[in-house]
Amino acid sequence: MHLLDPDLHTRRAFLRRTGQLALTGTALPLALNLAAMGEAAAFNATDYKALVCVFLYGGNDYANTVVTYDDPSYNLYSTIRGGGAGQAAGGIALAKAALAPTLLNPTTPLAGGRQYALHPSMTGLAGLFNMGRAAVQLNVGPLVVPLTRKQYNSTDRTTNPRPPQLFSHNDQQSIWQSSSPEGSKIGWGGNIGDLALGSNGNSLFTCINVSGNAVFLSGDSALSYQVSTGGAVAINSVKNNVYGSAAVKAAMATLVQQSRTNLLENEYNRVTTRAVTAESQVTSALLANPATNPPFSSFPANNPLADQLRMVARLIAARSALGATRQVFMVSIGGFDLHDNLIAQQPTLLTRVSEAMTAFYNATATLGVADKVTAFTASDFGRTLASNGDGSDHGWGGHHLMVGGAVKGAAFYGTPPPVSVGDTRDSMGNYAPVDQWHVGQGRLLPSTSVDQYAATLARWFGVADSELAGILPNLSHFGAAAGRPDYPADLGFML
Amino acid sequence: MSELTVEAPQIATNAQGKPIAEVPDLAPGLKAISIAAAASALAACGGGGEDATSTSATGGVTAGTTPAVGGQTITLPAMGYAFPAPSTDEQAARFLLQAQFSASDAEIAAVRAEGYAGWLERQVAQPYGPTGWDWLNGQGYGDVLNTANFYDNSYPGDYMIWNQLMAAPDAMRKRMALALSEFFVVSLSGLNFSWRSHAMAHYWDTLAAHAFGNYRNLLEAVTLNVAMGYYLNTKGNKKADGKGSQPDENYAREVMQLFTIGLNQLNPDGTARTDGTGKKLDSYSASDVSNLAQVFTGYDVDQSQNVVTVIPQTGGGTRNVGNTAFARLPMVQTGNNHSTGAATFLGASVAANVPAKDALKIALDTLFNHPNTAPFFCRQMIQRLVTSNPSPAYVARVAAVFANNGAGVRGDLAYVFAAILRDDEARGPDGLSQPEFGKLREPMLRLVQWARTFGVTSALGSWKIGDLSNAGTQLGQSPLRSPSVFNFFRPGYVPPSTALSAGAVAPEFQLVNESSVGGYLNYMQGVILNGIYVNAPDRPNAPSTPPAPGGYDIKAPYTSELAMVTDAAALVQRLNKLMCAGQLSAATQTLIVSALNATAVTAASTDAVKRNRVCAAVLMVMASAEYLIQK
Repeated sequence: MHLLDPDLHTRRAFLRRTGQLALTGTALPLALNLAAMGEAAAFNATDYKALVCVFLYGGNDYANTVVTYDDPSYNLYSTIRGGGAGQAAGGIALAKAALAPTLLNPTTPLAGGRQYALHPSMTGLAGLFNMGRAAVQLNVGPLVVPLTRKQYNSTDRTTNPRPPQLFSHNDQQSIWQSSSPEGSKIGWGGNIGDLALGSNGNSLFTCINVSGNAVFLSGDSALSYQVSTGGAVAINSVKNNVYGSAAVKAAMATLVQQSRTNLLENEYNRVTTRAVTAESQVTSALLANPATNPPFSSFPANNPLADQLRMVARLIAARSALGATRQVFMVSIGGFDLHDNLIAQQPTLLTRVSEAMTAFYNATATLGVADKVTAFTASDFGRTLASNGDGSDHGWGGHHLMVGGAVKGAAFYGTPPPVSVGDTRDSMGNYAPVDQWHVGQGRLLPSTSVDQYAATLARWFGVADSELAGILPNLSHFGAAAGRPDYPADLGFML
Repeated sequence: MSELTVEAPQIATNAQGKPIAEVPDLAPGLKAISIAAAASALAACGGGGEDATSTSATGGVTAGTTPAVGGQTITLPAMGYAFPAPSTDEQAARFLLQAQFSASDAEIAAVRAEGYAGWLERQVAQPYGPTGWDWLNGQGYGDVLNTANFYDNSYPGDYMIWNQLMAAPDAMRKRMALALSEFFVVSLSGLNFSWRSHAMAHYWDTLAAHAFGNYRNLLEAVTLNVAMGYYLNTKGNKKADGKGSQPDENYAREVMQLFTIGLNQLNPDGTARTDGTGKKLDSYSASDVSNLAQVFTGYDVDQSQNVVTVIPQTGGGTRNVGNTAFARLPMVQTGNNHSTGAATFLGASVAANVPAKDALKIALDTLFNHPNTAPFFCRQMIQRLVTSNPSPAYVARVAAVFANNGAGVRGDLAYVFAAILRDDEARGPDGLSQPEFGKLREPMLRLVQWARTFGVTSALGSWKIGDLSNAGTQLGQSPLRSPSVFNFFRPGYVPPSTALSAGAVAPEFQLVNESSVGGYLNYMQGVILNGIYVNAPDRPNAPSTPPAPGGYDIKAPYTSELAMVTDAAALVQRLNKLMCAGQLSAATQTLIVSALNATAVTAASTDAVKRNRVCAAVLMVMASAEYLIQK
C-alpha cells in the first residue's frame, strides 16, 4: 500500500496528463486558466497572502518549548526529567518559577486545568500568543491514519499503517515537508504554489526559499527559488566585463546558460539561467526596500533566522515590483538535535526563533499585511520526554506555533497529551489512559496529523477543498467525511 | 541473502592492547615497521608524543612528531578488467581525476607507463604523508599559552584540512580519506570543546591512516574517536540510571543508518530488497537502536596523559586548560557507567555483565559482517569518486571485493578503492556519452583541483584558508564542515522538477541553487586572478617583524600556462586535458578560444594582460557545464 506514493496524487496525475507547465520559471500568462483544462481553477487572487514555513532542523524538544505548567502536570514532567526539589531546575527539567513570565493565557482555558508556558527565552512569542496573534498546535506529527498506541504496536501494518522511517531525521524532515520519505521531489508548499502560479506576474517568485535546498517548496511546476539573506546573487562575470574583456563576459553568459545533452549538465545550467534571469528584478525590488530602513532595521542582530525572515519581509514589501499576490516562503534554523546539553543549548536556539518571529510579525504589521501573512513552525519530530542524562532522543509528535494577524490566537488547538513515560497495560493490551499518547519514553503519538495542519493553512491561503486531496494524500483518512470527526480536516486556527 | 564465506579478519592489537591497522599481504620487514608505526600513530602511546604543554614558539614539533605510517603492498588482480591501461592522455587524466584531486603531465605519463593497476599499487605503497596533527603543531597551533586561545577555535582545523587537500604528497590516500569523511561524518562546525581543531585533525588522520586498511578497524577507530564521541554523544554516555534516564541513542542509530547498514535491506548489488508488494524492508528497528545504544555506554575521553596549564584571564581569575593528549587517544571506559544488562540487536546478543570491550566487538563485528554493509558502503564510495548512478552490476562487483579482496579478507579498503577505479564502467568510454553518467564535482574539489593544477602555494607557509561554506559569496561547502551528520548532501537526493529518469539521483545537486551557482562563480573569479586574500598571513610560531601585512598569500603562478599564453588554442587544449580530461566539446573550446582571441596577446604584452588571458581561460573552463559534470 503506497499511501505516501506521490504518483497517486490526483493533482500530480492531472498535471502529467496535460503536460508540464513551464518549467523554466519564466513568466506565465496572467490569464492562465486551469478551468479551461477541465479541472477546478486555482484561485483568482486579488488580495495578497503569504505562508512562511519556519523549519526547526534536528527535531525540537517540545517538552521544554511548550512546557506543561499546571502543578500536577508540571510535577510529573519534573520528576521524569530529573527536576530538583521544590519545582526547581534539575536534570533536563526547567524551573517552574522561570516559566511564569512566559505563561500562556488562552482566551478559553484548557480543560482539566491544563496550562502551558513557553520556554523562558520565548518572551516575544508568548506576548504574541497572549495578544491573540499566535496560537499553539499541540501534539502534531506525521500520520497516515489515526492511531492509538495499541494500533501503533500492532503488526498488522495494512490496517494500521505508520509513517515510514519514524525517528530518522532526513526521512521525517522529508515527510513533514512532502508526505514522503527521503528522495521525494515534491512538497506540499510547492503544490500550493502550483495553484498560485497563475496569480503571479512571474511564477518563479511564487515559492521562495531563504535557507538551503529543501523539498517543501518544490511543486509539480513551481520551482523553489533561492534567495540569500543578502538578496539575489548577481553573477559578476555575466553582467560585467571579465578581467577587462567584454568578449569573455559574453562567452560566460553563453556557457553558463546553454542547454546541454547530458542531463546533469543541463540541470546545472537551468539553475544558473533562472538565477541570471531573475536577479535584476529581485535586486531592484529589494533596493527599494533596503535592510537599513524600518521595519527591516529592527530585526535582531547575530540571528541567522532573523536574517532570513528580514529578507522575507523585504520581499513581501516588494511584492508589487515582483508581481506577486500569492507566495510561499521557507526559512530554517538548525541545531535542535540536542541529545546532549539540552539545557545549555536550547535557550539560544529558542531565543532566536522567538525574537526572529516576533520581529517578523511586527514588520508585517508595519507593512500593513499582518493579517495576510501566516508563519508556522515545523520540525523533524518532537523528542522523548525521558532524559538520557543531559538531553533527549528522537521522538515523533511535537507542539508547534502559528503566528499572524489571521491566526485565531490566544488558543490551543489539538489535545494536551498526558505527561507520562510509562507502559502500563491491562491483560488485553489496552494502555492506561495516561500512557495512550506516547509510544515509549514519552515520544508523543500525534493526535493531530501534519496533513490536517497543512490543510488548515492551505485553506486559508485559498486552496479549495477539492484540491487538498491532491496535495495532502493522507487527508482523506481524517475528518468527518472519513468518520473521524475527532481528527478534524480543518483545525480551525485560521480566521 | 548471500552467504558470507569470509571470516572477519582477526583484529591485531599492540602491546598496550590497542587495535592496529590491518596490513594484509605485506612483505615481512615492511610489515613490522608499519605496525609499530601505525600503533604509535593511532594510539599515541609511543614515540614520546608531542610536547603539548611546550611553551616554545616552535611548538616542539621536532620532538615527538608522529612517526610515519608506512604504505602497504597490494597485488591487484591482472585479469577481469577490459581497460587495464589508458591509450590516450585524456583517458589517463580521466582516471587521475577520479583517483585523486588533479592531473599533471608527469602523472599522466606515469599512468600510461604503469597501467592503472601498477599506478594504484604504487600509491597504496607510498608512506602516509605528514599528519594534520603534526602540521597543526608545526605551525604553532598547539601552543596553549598563545593569547589567541587556539584551543577555543576551529579555524586551525580549516587551515589544516585545506593544506592537507592542496599540498599533501599522498594525494590518492587523501582523496579516499575525503570520501570517507563524507560517509563517517564528523563536522568541525559541530565541535565545541577545548582543542577541537586538534581533535578534528586526529579524526582526519584516522581516516587517512585507515584509507588503505581494513573497514573493520576503521569502524572501531571511528567509534572510539574523541571527535566522533563528542559529535554523536558517545562521550559521557551512561547506562540507564533506573530513575528514567536511558542511554543516548544517537551513535547507535547513526552507526547503523549512516556508517554500516543503512535504513533498508539491500541486495548485494545495492538495490533494495522488497516484500511481495514491492515495499522496502527495514534493516533495523527502534528496538535494535535502544539495545545497541547500551553497547556504547560508559565511554569518556582518556585524560590519563592530561597536563593542565593555568591560564590567567583578562579581568582576573584563571582558567585551567588541559593538553591535547586526550584528543588523539581512543575513548575509554570511565567510572561504572557501562550498561550491565543484556542486549539483543540485529540477531546478535550481548549477555548481561559482558565487559564493554567484548560487547563492542560483538556489535562492530555484527555490523561489519551484515550483508548490507558491502553494497551500502561501496555504492556511496562509487558515488563520491565516479558516478552518481552506478549500475547495480557495478555495485555488485565492488561489493564482492569488499566481501573478499581475493585473498580471503573482508573489508580491505585498498582493494575496494582499486576495484571502483578499475571497473569497466569507470574506465570505459560508454559513460562519456550517456546522458546520466557522471557526477557534479563538489565545490571544494573544484578549488582543490585548481590549486594543485596550477601550482598554488602559500607564500609564508601558513595556508590560512578558512571556512568557505557561505553559498552566496564563497563555495557553499568547506571540507570537514558538513552541516550535519548527513553530509553536505544525501545519497538519494533528486533535484526537483528534473528531467532525470525515475530512480536516478544527483546527490551533489543538493548544494545547487540560484544563490550558490553565483557565489561559486564570483568567488572563483577573484581567486583565479588574485589568489586567496589572508589578513594576517604569518605562521603563528614564525611571525615576521613587523608582522606581514594582509595580502594574497595563496595564489597560482600559472607558470606553464603563461609559457603558452600567446597561443589561445594550445592554452585551452591544455586546460581541457588537465582539468576536464578532454571532455570539453569542440564547440565549447571554440567558444572559449574566440573569446580569448578578442584581446590580442603577444610576447610583448604586459604581464597583466598575459595573466588576464590565462585567468579568463581558467574561469571559462571552470564555469562550463562540461567541466562541472565530471564524467
